[in-house]
Amino acid sequence: MIHTLRQVFRSGKFVTGFVIFVSLLLIVLIYPLLVPDDPLAIIGLGTFFPPGIYVNVYDSVNVSPYTLNLPDATTKRIADKLGPKERQDMKEFLLAAGIPEEEIDIEDTAKLLDLWEKNYDPNKNIEGMTLAKMRYYQRLNNSLKGLLATEGLIVALPNAQTGQLEQVKVIEQSDYANINEVPNVRVLPLGTDNFGRDVLTELVKAAGVSLQIGFVAGLIATLIGLVLGLLAGYLGGMVDDIIMFFTNLLIVIPSFVLLILISFSIGQDKRGAITIATVIGFTSWVWTARAVRAQVLSLRNRDHVNLSRLSGHSTVYIILNDILPYIMSYVVMALILQISSGILAEAGLSILGLGPRTTEVPTLGLMMNWAMIYQAHVLGKWWAYLPVLVTIALITFSMNLMNTGLDQVFNPALRE
Amino acid sequence: MGKVILEVRELSTKYVTRFGENVYAVDRVSLKVEEGKSLGIAGESGCGKSTLALSLMGYYFAPLHYISGDIIIDGQNISKMHPDEVRRKILGKEIAYIPQAAMNALNPTLKIINFIEDVIHAHDPKVPKKEIHDMARQRFEELGLPAEVLQKYPVELSGGMKQRTVIATSVILSPKVLIADEPSSALDVTSQKMVIKMLKDMMEKGLVKAMIFITHELPLLYNVTDDIMVMYAGQIVEQGTAQQVVFDPLHPYSKGLMGSIIVPESGVRDVKLTAIPGAPPNLKRPPQGCRFADRCKYVQAECRVQSIYMREAANNRAYRCIFPEEQLRKVYQNE
Amino acid sequence: MSKSYLRYFLNKLAWLLVTAVFAFILNFTLPRLMPGDPVAAITARIAQGMSNTTGMKEVYERYAEQFGTNKPIHEQFLIYMKNILQGNFGTSFSQYPRPVADIIRASIVWTIALQFPAIIVGWIIGNALGAMAAYLKKGFDKVLMPISIFVSNFPAFGMAIILMVIFAVNLKWFPTSGGYGYNLIPNFSWEFIWSVIVHYQLPFWSIVLIIIGGQAIGMRSMSIYELNADYVKYARFLGIKDRVIVRYVFRNAMLPQITGLALSIGTMVSGALVAEIVFSYPGLGYTMLNGVMGQDYPLISAVTLIITIMTLIANFLIEILYGIIDPRIKAAQAEEQGG
Repeated sequence: MIHTLRQVFRSGKFVTGFVIFVSLLLIVLIYPLLVPDDPLAIIGLGTFFPPGIYVNVYDSVNVSPYTLNLPDATTKRIADKLGPKERQDMKEFLLAAGIPEEEIDIEDTAKLLDLWEKNYDPNKNIEGMTLAKMRYYQRLNNSLKGLLATEGLIVALPNAQTGQLEQVKVIEQSDYANINEVPNVRVLPLGTDNFGRDVLTELVKAAGVSLQIGFVAGLIATLIGLVLGLLAGYLGGMVDDIIMFFTNLLIVIPSFVLLILISFSIGQDKRGAITIATVIGFTSWVWTARAVRAQVLSLRNRDHVNLSRLSGHSTVYIILNDILPYIMSYVVMALILQISSGILAEAGLSILGLGPRTTEVPTLGLMMNWAMIYQAHVLGKWWAYLPVLVTIALITFSMNLMNTGLDQVFNPALRE
Repeated sequence: MGKVILEVRELSTKYVTRFGENVYAVDRVSLKVEEGKSLGIAGESGCGKSTLALSLMGYYFAPLHYISGDIIIDGQNISKMHPDEVRRKILGKEIAYIPQAAMNALNPTLKIINFIEDVIHAHDPKVPKKEIHDMARQRFEELGLPAEVLQKYPVELSGGMKQRTVIATSVILSPKVLIADEPSSALDVTSQKMVIKMLKDMMEKGLVKAMIFITHELPLLYNVTDDIMVMYAGQIVEQGTAQQVVFDPLHPYSKGLMGSIIVPESGVRDVKLTAIPGAPPNLKRPPQGCRFADRCKYVQAECRVQSIYMREAANNRAYRCIFPEEQLRKVYQNE
Repeated sequence: MSKSYLRYFLNKLAWLLVTAVFAFILNFTLPRLMPGDPVAAITARIAQGMSNTTGMKEVYERYAEQFGTNKPIHEQFLIYMKNILQGNFGTSFSQYPRPVADIIRASIVWTIALQFPAIIVGWIIGNALGAMAAYLKKGFDKVLMPISIFVSNFPAFGMAIILMVIFAVNLKWFPTSGGYGYNLIPNFSWEFIWSVIVHYQLPFWSIVLIIIGGQAIGMRSMSIYELNADYVKYARFLGIKDRVIVRYVFRNAMLPQITGLALSIGTMVSGALVAEIVFSYPGLGYTMLNGVMGQDYPLISAVTLIITIMTLIANFLIEILYGIIDPRIKAAQAEEQGG
């Protein structure tokens, strides 16, 4: 046993897969301890906030400022509003407005802004310009206002008696708030999803639930497959014929179709994550049964099994002691594959809208489904779907690597 | 002394494992086979006898690699030839091979006749099919095989029939030397006898001029071959006539090997059955001295230090041991 | 056709019929196994999805009649079979009053035109790559294998989404969805055909890519196994050229891959259906998604049945083809007959 384990851990592929898988598992277990938030809590008012550090604006205005004279602050401020693309767009507009090309120098910010101020007319309708483009110029114009101003912003509060605005403080351009002094800062490493939920927290939880689904489905499928395979292979005869008849039937009927039919029949409100896992388990045992049977058939007439039979041991005893240990490595490999395909099956079902009901827990498939319904992929909101895809791929990839590694240890013919 | 058909001089080959380690499976083997004679090679499994069979073909592919030495077939040194020339001019025509597991030696999805076509076209692409078919039919009938076999797929043949088909296919181009690697070990007794008879017939009819027969079944070797060589850990440890090696082994390993079998011949029956304790050395790092030293009852200190060379003995025999012949005989007698 | 092959053919044909009957039974029983009155449960669900109130009552009556809940179960099955054999799959809830058969007829062509070539192309490319990896080894193998393992483990929808984001959203080479331009009406103009071709590419290649990975891995192990087979060594020692031997090996490695294709066609079709959904390709997968969204029971039931039957037929055809090219099948049949 120990020798086998040592051999397994000498396989590079297995170790790589194992390390990836265990890391994922550790993240799933440890992250909730560090970030105990409800993974489905809606925190963002709006959809798809990009990843980043969110600093509370109200709080940062209220902390006492530090003055830092940084030479490139103005340049950065301008560049943020007026990048190369905006400059080019402005040039286009100015050209259309009839300014000769040699007068427009898009590198000279002051001159460009000056020209813009003089010539921009929000109502001007240039030929071939779409409404969207016209709106864009209006927005651009607004953001450019006061770009070259050097004075600060005034914070004012209405006077309780008169209702008149009174200056509270002035925020200078060289004022800085130390982020450590701002009481409310939220890091959203993967932004928020379409509902305004923290994608990372949700993803970790979803990975956990999906792994659970995979484990339950894999265990059920492997158990059914193992028992049927053992019975068919060891007992033979009628039992074998009947089991193999159903196994072969279910092999040709796509299990995904069965899954869809069953899931739909169960109905949305009765579909919990574990129900889905159970259904997946019950529809995906066929391959295991077939493979286990083949293994048992080759073992059935080995000397040690015959000896055990002659010694008068019961069938159950023989199966448990003389057959099972020899196919254990195989069963473990089958289990790993079943877990990974269970996770994929859940994802496939959820994409179709037949996954677990959406109110309780996220799963990787549901996150994918939400991202797709809200067109995250078309809108370029990569943080809503890509991390989910990568997680699914990492889980299945790591499990498959482990499996390939095991296969190479137990079936040396494939070592090339 | 007849004409030498196959001569091998100091042939060394190695396996390269997937970790890039060298396994020196054949170490400076020399042998000679005369016209009309057959040579048997005996040894435990893993002693390098099958590797020697592969190495004798003069055509190397991974994981087997040539190191040094010469193979001379009927005066032609094939070790210096380009591999493709060996393939085209030598393989099948000058020297042919009967594999160990002949059960799987035929491509399961090719009819026998199509395979024979491929074999002949590999050497001469211009031979018309008609001619090949006639030739194959003639050769099969000559060897007592029904011509219908040609139109069948290997799966349609029984085990013994498959093996005889393999043998007939191997000699389709009338090679001078035939190398048979355990050609009968996987067969039932009746098929075994038929295969052996077929091999003997071919020698008698002169279809092949010389044969090397490799097996771990010593009684068989004694019945089939004229001379026997004993191999241990990649080296030849003893050579002589079949009679000499089986009934009067000189090398302690041969002695042990013969003691570990039952030869149903008079004189041997009383000898007590012994097994040689221990296992052969690891050929990734062959020991410097005698390779049998660790298992030898008569081992001396210097056995482990110096290389042991083949020693000539009376009656054209040779063996690899530090002791002279008389001393060995004396030791054996005192047991 | 030889006698033994005829036997093989009839054997497979009988199996096709048995599996088809089993598929009908499953399709019939599964929804009925769920607790409660199926008609009530299903019509309760329609209530959320239907906008047409006059149609709803009619659907309910028609559905109750069709389901025949008041009749004994074997009679219900007979009604079900009779309807199906007449091509009558009922009326769609979500696209009322369009018959389900009509919806399926419109989408099945797209699915067949997309999946059949994609599975074949993916299978061929995958096998070629796997064979090359086994034969060339070294660098090619070292690069190809990890990629194949990764790709074959990648969920089908993931591949579709990534292709879409790269080639449709960012590079804008291809459209993101649909089977043809939304502003076009199907006809035989060049414009329409071109639009179909352009829309075809991304769904096609995402299915192909997914299939390549798994096939390459399978073919590689089969080829390695065959390359080490005894007949390879023997053929080499008879002077046969490597080129000819490679032909033997790949032919023999390919044969189990064909059986593999027959057995895994169901999985492939499932993956391909999901790819259709991602690209809103107007085939059966997308129809099914619409069915699920619209809680359209008759549509889902019909689509799952059609997919199953298509898979069974594909499986049957592959087995028939396999019987023709592998001599071992004929031999096995002949043996069975003799013994």
